Amino acid sequence: MLPIAQSELIQLFRNRAVLITSLIMPAAASIFFISYRDTFSQIGSLGYVAAVLIFIIAAFSLYATTVTTLAARRQNLFLKRLRSTAAGDATILAGLVLPVSVIAIVQVAVILIVFASVGRAPADVELLVVALTAALVMMLAFAVATAGITNSPEHAQVTTLPLSLGVIAVATWVGITGTENFALLKRILPGGSATELIVNAWNGGAPLADSMLLVAPTLVWVVVAIVLAARMFRWEPRR
Amino acid sequence: MPVRPVIEVDQLNVTYGEFHAVKNLSFQVARGELYALLGTNGAGKTSTLEVIEGHRKASAGTVRVFGKSPTDRRAVRPRMGIMLQEGGFAADLTVEESVRLIGRLSERQDTVARVLELVDLGHRADTRVAQLSGGEKRRLDFATAVYGRPELIVLDEPTTGLDIQSRDALWETVRQLREDGATVVLTTHYLEEAQQRADRIGLMHGGVFRSQGTVSELTQTLPASIRFSLPPGSPALPMRPAPMADGFYTIDTFDLQRDLKTLLDWADAHAVQLPGLSAAPTRLDDVFRAIGTEPVPS
Repeated sequence: MLPIAQSELIQLFRNRAVLITSLIMPAAASIFFISYRDTFSQIGSLGYVAAVLIFIIAAFSLYATTVTTLAARRQNLFLKRLRSTAAGDATILAGLVLPVSVIAIVQVAVILIVFASVGRAPADVELLVVALTAALVMMLAFAVATAGITNSPEHAQVTTLPLSLGVIAVATWVGITGTENFALLKRILPGGSATELIVNAWNGGAPLADSMLLVAPTLVWVVVAIVLAARMFRWEPRR
Repeated sequence: MPVRPVIEVDQLNVTYGEFHAVKNLSFQVARGELYALLGTNGAGKTSTLEVIEGHRKASAGTVRVFGKSPTDRRAVRPRMGIMLQEGGFAADLTVEESVRLIGRLSERQDTVARVLELVDLGHRADTRVAQLSGGEKRRLDFATAVYGRPELIVLDEPTTGLDIQSRDALWETVRQLREDGATVVLTTHYLEEAQQRADRIGLMHGGVFRSQGTVSELTQTLPASIRFSLPPGSPALPMRPAPMADGFYTIDTFDLQRDLKTLLDWADAHAVQLPGLSAAPTRLDDVFRAIGTEPVPS
């Protein structure tokens, strides 16, 4: 797995377009939200800002970059080349997504630490880690699934839009309006319950039992994403 | 105890939806053999090769490589080098990085420098794949296939896009690997390469074998030809030639030496000149053309 991950990292830093999508855009958006944190926290809360930051990185740095990478590797038959070796499918896939995943995790960690240092630290770090992990795993699995219907890196600019914008919209909706109204709908949307978990973890004050109830739909989405990834991912271009 | 073939294909079928690409194909490749899989476009040879490589599952039938399923990569791939028909290299990696990556994943022992020198790419080691010519990419592909001197090498149209020097170098490497006992499976559109190098050939058309055997066995299925013209007023020939539109005559024969001698003896005896006389043995091209004109089996 490590040789593949190493080669992916080299390619990532040699490809400016991917570098901009995975590093520059999420960082710029994060800086914007952190700079105007007081305004956004008045609209929602600091927890809402944290949720939006997390989903911006999950959507662009992790999800869109992974879809683009996998589509490109399949289109130029690099996946077939890797499958011509002794490496197994799980090893190949893990090696391909490892660098992007690590970069996304580091980005989230750095940005949340900066956000906490200029604002207020999260009330429940453990709960935040659970919600964050679930959100990233869900988006990674959705990326593998979306790659299955993405024929090329150019096509990825279209296929990644619905989910990228969707989860950020859900995070914004849930973060700003809370779950007093349309609670069920908001919690069953992808990223909805994860957003509420992040808000609760950052702001504090919510009973632990209420937060634990939100873990179930969050994990259901993780499972759904993994099942879709297993069913939809293709190793070779369509004939 | 008999030595088990390196490749065993038994009643292989490959289907894509309603399309039956390979139909009940059976053959074996012995250790040290160079087996060429040839066929018309859409004959099913790529599908067959992909099953042997483990890239595609058989719809029915069995394929064993070294006695194992070819999809068992951990067991098979360290002993098997694959040269794909096209592509498969990351444009942003250098030549050296590409070979090192595939070499490490192949789990065979070798050095990048050795295989790059083998394909004359040592001077391009630091060049990104995107900047290579088509021929250089094919040589890079060959380098990864022979990394670590595998026991079985699958070459999918290996010389397409190569200049004559590169072709000769590639075949020289293959010859050396075969001297060390390597088994080679080859597909190619250059029939003369198969005719010169293959121990046995399988000729596919419409998803089935239309013919299989050594070059000699395959070419025996079609007659050789003797071609000549006759001066006016020549005496009757000892055999019946077919007149051609260009004024020449041809004699199709399954015994070229005997019939040519009969013709020359007759010409000597009657002091007849045979302008434009030529005798051509059956070539693989002729067999291939004959098969290509046959209807596709349903």
